[in-house]
Amino acid sequence: MKFFAFHLMPWDRLPADFAERYDSAWTTVPNSLYDPRHGGQLYNDYLDQLVLADKLGFDGVCVNEHHQNAYGTMPSPNLMASILARQTKHVKIAVVGNALPLYNPPTRVAEEFAMIDCISGGRLIAGLVVGGGPEYYSFSLNPTHARSMYREAFDLVLRCWTETGPFEHYGQHWKLRYVNPWPRPIQQPHPPVWIPGAGSKETIQFVAQRRFAYMGIPYFHLDFFQRNFDLFRDACEKNGYTADPEQLGWLLPIYVAESDEQAWAEYEEHLWYFVRNLLKGLVIFPPGYTSVRSIAGIQRGLQQFMTACQTRDDIERGGYAIVGSPKTVREKLQTYSKRLGVGNLLGLFQIGTLPHELACKNMSLFAEQVMPQLRAESQR
Amino acid sequence: MSLSVQHRFLHVGGKKTQLMTLGDGPPLVYLHSAGGETEAIPFHHKLAEHYTVYAPAHPGFALSEGLNDILDIHDLAWHYVDLFADLELANVPVIGYSLGAWLAVELAILRPQLVSRLGLISAAGLHVEGAPMGELFIDDFDKLRELIFFDPSSSAALETTPSSPDDSRMLMWLRAREATARVGWNPYLHDPKLPRHLHRVTQPTTIVWGRHDKLIPLAHGEYYAEHLPNATLQILEECGHGVPWEKCEEAATLLM
Repeated sequence: MKFFAFHLMPWDRLPADFAERYDSAWTTVPNSLYDPRHGGQLYNDYLDQLVLADKLGFDGVCVNEHHQNAYGTMPSPNLMASILARQTKHVKIAVVGNALPLYNPPTRVAEEFAMIDCISGGRLIAGLVVGGGPEYYSFSLNPTHARSMYREAFDLVLRCWTETGPFEHYGQHWKLRYVNPWPRPIQQPHPPVWIPGAGSKETIQFVAQRRFAYMGIPYFHLDFFQRNFDLFRDACEKNGYTADPEQLGWLLPIYVAESDEQAWAEYEEHLWYFVRNLLKGLVIFPPGYTSVRSIAGIQRGLQQFMTACQTRDDIERGGYAIVGSPKTVREKLQTYSKRLGVGNLLGLFQIGTLPHELACKNMSLFAEQVMPQLRAESQR
Repeated sequence: MSLSVQHRFLHVGGKKTQLMTLGDGPPLVYLHSAGGETEAIPFHHKLAEHYTVYAPAHPGFALSEGLNDILDIHDLAWHYVDLFADLELANVPVIGYSLGAWLAVELAILRPQLVSRLGLISAAGLHVEGAPMGELFIDDFDKLRELIFFDPSSSAALETTPSSPDDSRMLMWLRAREATARVGWNPYLHDPKLPRHLHRVTQPTTIVWGRHDKLIPLAHGEYYAEHLPNATLQILEECGHGVPWEKCEEAATLLM
């Protein structure tokens, strides 16, 4: 089992009446609510938390890309990853990921990822994603081309890393007379590739076929993860091999404190800030973003999404977040990760308003009192 | 209302195309909106009292196929050049609503000889400074009804939009949204080149607009009226974007 500290870099100062007054924390949420000086402080706290993860012995840190929103104020994860490439020594740096259709031309992703791989001495994990629904509004990018742009860009980035240039690329979406990125990545034939998915069968089959790693999109009920991970393992078998647990990742909010009571007392208000404010507007499927049938299915599946939770009990029963004493968190993660068959645990240790000190305490307790036992258990 | 409605399929430039016809008399082509009114509504029947109404479903709408070959509004207009050829239609009245009205204008520019006169209802196609269009690509059906209808609680409003993800019309609705987005996502429901071509549309043109259109404000109708050489603008009171439902009789009479 590998342990990653995943960061959204969320905005922590939405007004108290945000949920009533605003339709969404995405796309149209007025950026007058953003305070740059406070933003600078947050970025530095958040980077400190990820550097701490390196010192605490996590296997990796994760950053990710979102635009025009309060949920994750990290429009360029590559900027953050490049700082981390210098400020950390051991952790893998997983960028989960770059939203390929938003890069023009997408060879830029191959270039920037190669830079991070070089600076970090070969510690990059390359996440290649379609981008969330809201991003297609924020960029006015036609979502009916999202999938075909993604496939074309994906193949092009892989070619950039595995073929020497210059070569020509004449695709449907990009026509490039010279493809010849400098630099090239240290890791050969290319950095590990992670692809997140919300359960669309097309994505699951694609990842299985190419033997990449599949990361489950968070905030769903445990049963939803279970279904998707089972589908993935089946798809791997159909491609003639058995899935390695390290091909699967489970992303979820985690909070550890000295006791169960203390954990909930310290965490609960912050969890609801996250659920009621920051998740508002995240799940939107613009036309054509995925197949009509998938959209209809996912919209029904949203009954198993964290925003449907009203109480602490709902959260605990669905495994939407793991909260408690080191013992509780250890036992739950042990049981669930075994059941899900995942080899990568991606924890969100900061979800917004949680004070910096508590986020650090959370990570420290996790690293000292949860991680070692889970590691030992998984090596048995 | 007793006129018989026929549905059949054509193969237009390799694309399976659903075609509804109703009424008799001289031919008239009706180009539907983003809402995909491809089944007969009372407005079709009004037109069919005097015409044989040809109402095709655009690629990607209803059971029409071929959206993969459509990248923008011009590809859609070319599809209609082909369809008119297949049906041996030329010099006929063309009535379009919203997305379909924009398409009708593009067709009249591309092949003026196909269009004898134009009826434009709440036409998309323009970007008018100071009169932004509403956001059509939203998931919230209540908000959508408010955007489109003067009275969002009217039975017409409730009947034309699904009410929940479990609605049986959901798959067709999502298909219509996708096909609209293909040509109308960016630039948003308009063609930046269109204003420079409007002087070429010399056919008699009747423009019909709801005073209270929140999706495509009246200023767009005024712009069309001012820049199309042979056009008149008719404004309907207590009416939003949903003209064919909200002012069925009046609009049909104006366009006949």
